[in-house]
Amino acid sequence: MPVTAPTSAGPLLQMSGIVKTFPGVRALDGVDLDVRPGEVHCLLGQNGAGKSTLIKVLSGAHQPDDGEITWAGESVALGTPMAAINQGISTIYQELDLVHGLTVAENVFLGHEISRGGLSQRTEARRRTRGLLERLGHSEIPAGREVGRLSTAGQQIVSMARALSRDTRLIIMDEPSAVLDQEEVHNLFRVIRDLTSDGVAVIYISHRLEEIREIGDRVTVLKDGRTVATGLDARETPTKELIRLMTGRDIEYVFPDRPDGQPDAATVLEVDGLALAGTFADVGFRVHTGEIVGLAGLVGSGRSEILETIYGARRASSGTVSVDGKMMRAGSVVGAVRAGVGLCPEERKSQGLLLDQAVYRNITMSSMARFSRAGFMDRTAERAAATELTTSLDVRPSGVDRAVRTLSGGNQQKIVLARWLLRDCRVLLLDEPTRGVDVGARSEIYALVRSLAARGVAVVMVSSEVPEVLGLADRVLVVREGEVVHEGPADQIDEHQVLDLVMEGSAA
Amino acid sequence: MNDNTAASGGALPAQAGSAGLPPEAPRTGRGGAPGVPASPVATFMRSGAARSLGLVVALVVLFVVGIITAGDRFASVDNMLTILRLASVIGVVSIGMTFVITGGGIDLSVGAIVALASVWATTLATQTIANDYHWTLMVTTALLVGTGCGLVNGVLVAYGRVVPFIATLAMLAAARGLAEILAGRRTQIVDVDGFTDFFGASVLGVPVLVIIFALVAAVGWVVFNRTTFGRRTFAVGGNPEAARLAGIKVKRHTMMLYALVGLCCGIAAIMLMARTTTGSSTHGLLYELDAIAAVVIGGTLLSGGRGTIVGTVFGVLIFTMLSNVFTLNNLSISAQSVAKGLIIVVAVLLQQRLAARSTST
Amino acid sequence: MSRPTTPLRKLGVIGTALAAIVIAAGCTSNTADSDKNDSGGTDSAKAGSNDEAGETVTIGFSGPEADHGWLAAINSAALDEAEKYEDVELLAAEGTNDPSLQISQIETFINDEVDAIVLLPTDGAALTAVAIKAMEAGIPVVNVDREFSSPFAARTTILGDNYGMGVSAGTYACQLVEDNNLTNPVIAEIAGIDALPLTQDRSEGFAAALKECGEEVDNRVAAEFTVESGEAQASNLLQAAPKIDIIWNHDDDQGVGVKAAFDNANRDEFFFIGGAGSANAMRWIQDGEMEATVLYPPTQAADGIRLARLIAQNKGLSDLVQVEVPKRIVLNAPVVTKDNVEEYMPLGFES
Repeated sequence: MPVTAPTSAGPLLQMSGIVKTFPGVRALDGVDLDVRPGEVHCLLGQNGAGKSTLIKVLSGAHQPDDGEITWAGESVALGTPMAAINQGISTIYQELDLVHGLTVAENVFLGHEISRGGLSQRTEARRRTRGLLERLGHSEIPAGREVGRLSTAGQQIVSMARALSRDTRLIIMDEPSAVLDQEEVHNLFRVIRDLTSDGVAVIYISHRLEEIREIGDRVTVLKDGRTVATGLDARETPTKELIRLMTGRDIEYVFPDRPDGQPDAATVLEVDGLALAGTFADVGFRVHTGEIVGLAGLVGSGRSEILETIYGARRASSGTVSVDGKMMRAGSVVGAVRAGVGLCPEERKSQGLLLDQAVYRNITMSSMARFSRAGFMDRTAERAAATELTTSLDVRPSGVDRAVRTLSGGNQQKIVLARWLLRDCRVLLLDEPTRGVDVGARSEIYALVRSLAARGVAVVMVSSEVPEVLGLADRVLVVREGEVVHEGPADQIDEHQVLDLVMEGSAA
Repeated sequence: MNDNTAASGGALPAQAGSAGLPPEAPRTGRGGAPGVPASPVATFMRSGAARSLGLVVALVVLFVVGIITAGDRFASVDNMLTILRLASVIGVVSIGMTFVITGGGIDLSVGAIVALASVWATTLATQTIANDYHWTLMVTTALLVGTGCGLVNGVLVAYGRVVPFIATLAMLAAARGLAEILAGRRTQIVDVDGFTDFFGASVLGVPVLVIIFALVAAVGWVVFNRTTFGRRTFAVGGNPEAARLAGIKVKRHTMMLYALVGLCCGIAAIMLMARTTTGSSTHGLLYELDAIAAVVIGGTLLSGGRGTIVGTVFGVLIFTMLSNVFTLNNLSISAQSVAKGLIIVVAVLLQQRLAARSTST
Repeated sequence: MSRPTTPLRKLGVIGTALAAIVIAAGCTSNTADSDKNDSGGTDSAKAGSNDEAGETVTIGFSGPEADHGWLAAINSAALDEAEKYEDVELLAAEGTNDPSLQISQIETFINDEVDAIVLLPTDGAALTAVAIKAMEAGIPVVNVDREFSSPFAARTTILGDNYGMGVSAGTYACQLVEDNNLTNPVIAEIAGIDALPLTQDRSEGFAAALKECGEEVDNRVAAEFTVESGEAQASNLLQAAPKIDIIWNHDDDQGVGVKAAFDNANRDEFFFIGGAGSANAMRWIQDGEMEATVLYPPTQAADGIRLARLIAQNKGLSDLVQVEVPKRIVLNAPVVTKDNVEEYMPLGFES
């Protein structure tokens, strides 16, 4: 039952009763959405709730089977992406659709090049690009630079400049903050505020509730292809309420309880004086059995590299790593895996999974020796083991022969975890364990990690989200510019202090 | 070819793991019920044969065309054995190629390695020693030379970090050149009787060469689909970084893949020596293209991570049968080339349609 | 993510690989034996007065890369021929299949002011311009085997006769039909690379001669001058025609494979006629395994050297009344059979 808040200004965009079916699936099943000029309208929903499909309908990539779209008071059909762009609707996708080999200016005017008599006007294009970048507050980006050489944040700005170059009235942003660090997110918000004050409307999609509170005006919640609530106040609506709307249930505790400390727990992982030239230096810490240690820090602070070096995926320039007192060979992943170390990498899809292959194959990937005799795989045993794991981890949909690609982010993460569970690993290294995982599934991952620790696994996790580190870990290491600047129990430090350390390097 | 379906699939509501959502989306064609042993039908649907359905159709069409146009001359046992015998050499090379392409690489040097192995195994010196001791010495020589060249490729690609295309292109030039030097551009006749007797023979009417091809294909299938080696090949080709981080020795495996193709080239050289009773630096010309064509129309992904031995065998058979049917009808080589091009396109298109259907329902 | 590799490491790997190749090559340089007995062939030529040493002349020789037996024979015969004359200094350029490289070779000869050039072009048309340039520079060019596209490009042209080869083969086939009283004979043809004019000439000649006795080619396939392709094409051909009376194979190099296909299929009901005249083919004729082969002389370049010497020394062919070397010489394409094989054996080249 849609909950509609009273409207005050005439809507720029009104969608009602949008239906879109694909063979076998009803992706959108009656979506209502209204967006006013100059507002930031947040779209919330779990993975698979229909957000992506809705965006594609709005950007002209998909045609709705039913329902009506009203744009600036007139009923419109957005038959092609070009039609949407011509109406003034621009979309900035998660995977930025820029051509890396072209310059910033060429990308901004891609598809509507400025030309006179068939000759492109490079100088004019660059001049206007500079104007757009200035309007976005990023005049430091050179209009002649190849886009591939810009940072992700820079590329995002270029995408926005491209949208503005077309006289855009509505910009759709699909998880723009997922690839940005804290400072870049602040910049992005400043740009969004500038745009909305000019009357441009923004549809903002994010998994991070705190962002929605900061930048959003109103919220629409999707669930299973339907609008379950629209026009909610982005700042006032309680988190519990939003989560209830998204998941259809109340989530009381996002983070599992910490068990009581065990002072005599054995040390599993010892890191001493570890360094990677040019990235981090002199990192040392211990992780005991059953303990979760969190590394907090900005993107680029060296936190991911520390994990990868412990794992042997990078060769340490000095220092040692020991597991159960046994020193490991530097730069040997194979050695680390043998010693019982497992890594859930940051980029799950590109570093962790064989997306087109069956679930069970992804799970047994690191345990082939266990399922083989004289080199032959026992696939029955493999499937049985994988089935047991996926059942106990509640991977949905079930079925170990399905390609991993068909699973949601949270379930994919469970597959990577299952891989290491199968090996009974001693040390688990988690790099951004909940990136791309929706809110409901997150708490499941948290509970899973805690239960692993309870079974005696030593866990080291890295996360960009400070609350996650503080909520899940027993002990926290704060990393700044390749140095550990703070180490202490997680319950004796709060988010502000961590952020202070991350920025300033000294505890407030 | 799957990108299309994947892109639109991405817009579908993938089932999130949390409670409260409707359980179990409609099962896809490839999925199996959890824990339930796969039925024979389901097993078949997942097998290479089903994925190469387009090829089966093409092969059947060719077969029917052969019977209609050439009748008994085509449908005779003798002619079938001729087709198989002609398919066997390039077939063995293509099996090796399937491994390396599935493993994310490519080997352009197969033809040149076949030539070098055939020449090395038939030099006067080798043949003299083989005559004095045993003809298997020639076999060993060919296998060693083939594997050796493959190893050099593998070391360059895996440890030297030379792009496979370039490394094997270099081997293509070098091996063919070395073969010419060794042979002095002459055709070296095999006159070791034990060798020609053994490989020229038939068992129960089936030529030894065809038996070798069948064995290589069977062993290849088992290794590809049932062993850790095969599993690693899929992993390394599908996502080398994920494979490395899962603790698989990616470099060593890559090297071994190239050595394996080299070994297949050695076997092919032996078969070619038996078929033509010669070793020559002109053996194996353009094998790289024929093998890649057979592998790719067979359904193996050129970018790696997915492959099928059954499809490759079908691919090889189609090309060989095509040229047989054309010759039986007295048609020119040029017409054969045109048909070959058409078949590649039609088979790949057909397969894309079938693949799209099986993943979207 | 990937671990950096130092250039030194990389170098080491490549070095090891190279070393392996070098060692590999070193192990097998033991094929010297097969280098003996090339085409020779001209030993039996009678020494006329023209063979007496005259003023020393420098002759430039350029030919295609010897990538198969016949071309290898052509080249070595030319070199051997030059050796025989004290008054010939031969500048032999590296064999190449690249017309532009061959053009630059001829330009070098022109700059060196050689006395004559013997040229077997990779492509007659492509080399015509540079040949004209040489002629204009006063250097006589002897054109061998593949003809230039302009009559002004060569002082003299010496050619094998591809059309004539086909005619000889066809005429001999007709003879066989008549001698053996074959009714409705099945005649098959295994051509070389179909795209080449020389293959087309041979086939046309063959068909024309067969027409004279009312026969025609029933089955035709085309191989690629390689053993392997000969075997593959012949295997299919044998399936296409369950009974064959006469087979003409254009080229004895690919003939080794063709013969292997016959043996594999246990087929020998037909008369097997070859082409070019390799030593293998001649041995088969001696052993009765082949009926005949049509010669395509591998001595053209050797003859070219001789003619170039005579031209440079301003001599004529002593057996002709005419005082100058003729403008055009087309060599005969005789049929070698069991009866005359001993006579032609010295011309047989090892393929």
